[in-house]
Amino acid sequence: MFRWCVWGFVCAFLTSCGSGGPAGAPSASEKPPFKPIDPSVAVFWDRQTTETGALIRTLVDEFNAKRPHGLSIKIEHTGGYSDIFRKVSASIQAGALPAMAVAYQSMTAEYAQAGAVADLEPFVHDAKSGLGPEELDDFYPVVFETNRYPDFGGKMLSFPFCKSVLMLYFNKEVLSKAGFDAPPATWDEFIHQCRRIKAKTGKPAYAVSVDCSTITGMIFSLGGDLCDGKRTLFDSPQAIQAFEIIETLAKEKLGYQITPGSYDDETALAQGSVAFCIRSSSGRTNVAMLMQGAQDQWGMARLPQGDPANPRTVLFGPNICIFNTTPEQQQAAWDFVKFFTSREIGVRWALGTGYLPIRKSAADDPGLKKFWDAWPYNRAAFDCLPFAKSEPNLGGWQEVRALVEKAETEVLAGLKTGRDAAIELKRKADAVLSTQ
Amino acid sequence: MIGRILLYIFLAAGMAATTFPFLWMITTAFKTLPEALSPSLHLLPVQWQWRNFIETFQAAPFGRYFFNSFLVGTAVTAAVIVSSLMAGYAFARLDFRGRSLLFGVVLATMMVPFEATLIPNFAMIRRLGWYNAYPALIVPWCANAFSIFLMRQAFMALPGDYFDAAKVDGCGHLRFLLRVGSPLVKPALVTVGLFAFLGSYNSLIWPLVVTSEDTMRVVQVGLTVFSGAEGVRLHLLMCASTIVILPTVALYFAAQKNFLESSLGSGLKG
Repeated sequence: MFRWCVWGFVCAFLTSCGSGGPAGAPSASEKPPFKPIDPSVAVFWDRQTTETGALIRTLVDEFNAKRPHGLSIKIEHTGGYSDIFRKVSASIQAGALPAMAVAYQSMTAEYAQAGAVADLEPFVHDAKSGLGPEELDDFYPVVFETNRYPDFGGKMLSFPFCKSVLMLYFNKEVLSKAGFDAPPATWDEFIHQCRRIKAKTGKPAYAVSVDCSTITGMIFSLGGDLCDGKRTLFDSPQAIQAFEIIETLAKEKLGYQITPGSYDDETALAQGSVAFCIRSSSGRTNVAMLMQGAQDQWGMARLPQGDPANPRTVLFGPNICIFNTTPEQQQAAWDFVKFFTSREIGVRWALGTGYLPIRKSAADDPGLKKFWDAWPYNRAAFDCLPFAKSEPNLGGWQEVRALVEKAETEVLAGLKTGRDAAIELKRKADAVLSTQ
Repeated sequence: MIGRILLYIFLAAGMAATTFPFLWMITTAFKTLPEALSPSLHLLPVQWQWRNFIETFQAAPFGRYFFNSFLVGTAVTAAVIVSSLMAGYAFARLDFRGRSLLFGVVLATMMVPFEATLIPNFAMIRRLGWYNAYPALIVPWCANAFSIFLMRQAFMALPGDYFDAAKVDGCGHLRFLLRVGSPLVKPALVTVGLFAFLGSYNSLIWPLVVTSEDTMRVVQVGLTVFSGAEGVRLHLLMCASTIVILPTVALYFAAQKNFLESSLGSGLKG
């Protein structure tokens, strides 16, 4: 007994002191047999909380009730995206995974390196439980294509889950005081409106949340692109112009940077301190809550464009990846994914959360039409879906995103000109991608 | 006299600066969301929102989280006190080969960041079958280098005469440790216990990683439910934080005397 106690203590000590090395990580080429983390149910690691968390739990319950046979889905809140990434990475090392988890493309690419992610193509095209040609055609191509990974032979390693687009939020009252009755349609108009608002109020017009997606959206909306193969295009005229717009905002004090990671821009918009903020369309519910029902005082519109006749914006939002566990777990996970992305559930999810329905046929849904009729700006984000474009699914892109945010911060702080920041970003980003 | 007034003004300003965030947290727990997010630093809510507390407890099973936090914190504290007491005494008072080297190895583990050990520790927990169970929350934290170091220093500060006298009376190491040494290093022991409990009570990432059921989760994990993908429910988060912080504040006041004594660096009074 004493010996067991001593061994127990030694084990505890070594564990706490971190003496254990990483358990044999599978190489990229291996397909390890990952055990289900709970064989009795199909576990789904998600990040939704509060009202959206309650809604997804309701949907899971409905799915389970409709499915008397086979594994049930069990949803587990696993913190934020970084927590989920950490937990999945640790679980890969431990050899046991949930049936599925929410994941951004960069996360999925990392899991795929360890052979942990299932190719969804066989599920999608399965004669019995897959999606028929009509159903496949019903999805917006962009939401589908963003889940194919060039670094893994173009395989579909994840499925669209919560999609949103980058939008311009505006405070009508502030705009109106400066003499404008509509938000800007072009970036030139945006700068013009910011200048007028600054002149009238003496305050910056735009609260800037430093985020790679904002720069990406600006580049897309100016008609540019991010990559040509593994070569970035941050030295293109459109990318330089995007950074120069940021430079103008900073130099003329038309915009100011909010605390990173906060939602101070939405708060400032709701309080009428600024006229604009640029955020995901999924932020609609949060802004609505902050505005306390004063729907006549704010709105959301597509991003200002380089050429309004050919609009573009950025598509983002997490996907679901199904892990390489047992066929039973994978089938249950796929059945849930199919259920969740059906037209009916997609509409309910969109109405309850602010995310976008990803099927074209959702536009005919009476519930959604009613929602769009209730407030003119409710439809704005959905209308952006046909021309939205996602960021590339390249290995190393997560690192490039951090470089973009650093470049934006440097321009906002006046440390670099827009052009210099863009050129240097191009050099650094290319170096990152070339090592992948 | 003027110097004294200035001193009081200075101390009052320091006190206000340190207590303001706590007061802000408590009063924000009673505000609406827009008021909580207001850039103004006003303390008192326009209208007291008592309902926030109901909403907070409806958002997550905080009762269960508190039970788990106390259970885990108490077990970890007890284990750390035992392990650091014994290891600290051994490093301070026992002569054995490789003592300095072994102590150096123990101290070196302080240089290993938590992030580096997260994955191997999690893999070990999985293989031991402790995922989503109390041992996963308790066992990895039963010993730590800092506590061992603190106890070693406390034992080294004891005059050797105590041990010699006890030895003459026929006292062995274990009896000396339990009967004589422990009472003499009580302030250090209380400090070790305080740190162990607070460390366990405040940990977030590890409990989040090794548990999945609400029945196994702790209060800090409960606080994450108020931070969503598209915003933070600051009023509810502050409400939950106010409740969560109470036990740690109470514990600090209960152990304050011993903690200060230990901080001053000596357990002996002349």
